[in-house]
Amino acid sequence: MRRLITGAIVLLVASVAQAAEIHPPAQTTAGNPISIPSSGSGDATFYLIGPAGASKRQVQAGSDIAVDSDQLEHAGRYVAILCASDGCASSSFFVNAAAPNRLSLLVHPSRVPVGSGNGISTVAFVFDNFHNLVLQPEAVKFSVQPKGGNEVSAEREGKDGVAWVRLTSAKKEGPTKLGAAIGHANEIRVVQQVAADACNLRIKASRAKNNYLIETDPVRDCSGNPVPDGTVVSFTMTDSAGKTTVDVPIKRGVAKIEMPIKGRARVTVASGVVTGNELEVSGG
Amino acid sequence: MMTTALRYCLLAVGFGVLVCAAAVLHLGASASDELPRVELSADNIGPRQIEDLTSKSIPRDYALAWQTMAQALEENRTDVLDGYFTGFEKDELTQRVKSQLKSGLHAKYLDRGHKLHAIFYAPAGDAMELRDHAQLDMQVSDGGKVIYEEPVTVDYIVIMTPGADRWLVRQLQAVQGEKR
Repeated sequence: MRRLITGAIVLLVASVAQAAEIHPPAQTTAGNPISIPSSGSGDATFYLIGPAGASKRQVQAGSDIAVDSDQLEHAGRYVAILCASDGCASSSFFVNAAAPNRLSLLVHPSRVPVGSGNGISTVAFVFDNFHNLVLQPEAVKFSVQPKGGNEVSAEREGKDGVAWVRLTSAKKEGPTKLGAAIGHANEIRVVQQVAADACNLRIKASRAKNNYLIETDPVRDCSGNPVPDGTVVSFTMTDSAGKTTVDVPIKRGVAKIEMPIKGRARVTVASGVVTGNELEVSGG
Repeated sequence: MMTTALRYCLLAVGFGVLVCAAAVLHLGASASDELPRVELSADNIGPRQIEDLTSKSIPRDYALAWQTMAQALEENRTDVLDGYFTGFEKDELTQRVKSQLKSGLHAKYLDRGHKLHAIFYAPAGDAMELRDHAQLDMQVSDGGKVIYEEPVTVDYIVIMTPGADRWLVRQLQAVQGEKR
């Protein structure tokens, strides 16, 4: 009986010793090849399941299994499985992102009024060469280069793969280049700074045949930038017959309209939330 | 007379048993159609605060993303990935499904739930970064043979961006995990 038990234990130990096992490194870096030691003997099938691939090939159990760099480009959890005649053994490992070398830059809005406090948001997601998000803190250099002006830059440390900054638009209209740089990556976006709301909106009236020609002075914002053509200016005439409002787009910097005025009338002007001066006119 | 009645009675009972068995089988099949459980916490989000509607859309769309991903990997279908994935993540998963097809492999995810923490919401509202603490039972089979089966807890870093009527998963990167 004792011999029988001893024999069974020896057989069990021998079978355990023969069982295939696999020992990948706990972690590696994206784009690096690895060698996975295995134990056991005989023909076996090796499987590698990763975020972007699942492969299968024949190997010899007990030998080192080479995994090429192109099979390990995607960061995430991988499972290595070795199946031999006595069953399957598996082990998981993680592939971490490589060094930062790409940026995904989000800049909003693409057009912004001048002098808009914190009006531009710039967000940079930090990736490695294989589009894996780099989670280690890394400094991202943000820069602003207005047209004809000097570049201003500031560094922000990325957290969980993202760095961001809010900027106030300049006082002068025109395109501004916003950039973010890390490693060899240098992404640039262009934000068009446009005139803000009209400021000191003024109208004047002159006779035109039977009508009055009501015309604005060149419409500018408070920084002196011309308000873009197409911006709507509203003229409102109030007379004994009631109130009439006409919307007119700015053309070549001014907005104008011919109004038939009979008797006394009051004309006011507005653009957006800005109101201008008021005129009293009398027609025939 | 009695024998005929008994025969009809037995037939009726047998039919009833068949109907019940079919119902049980159907219920079992539709269990995997259930949406994964996702709990969203947005207490530490910034710089933008999450809107009420977004706080409802994110867990719903993330759950649907996991459901469609599980379906894609189990049935080796790429078409279901169009709904809730975009960008490189969609490319990665498509690549994974194609390689599974080539190798004759299938992966099955039994979803045990997700604890989702929103950590970054872009000032313009055009991107959100989250951390997911997911509990899964993973199974890989080659043909009909199960070659790997393991309950795991995996932490993911997730980037979602808004689409026309839903939030889409743009990045789903496992960062750490352990066997449960």
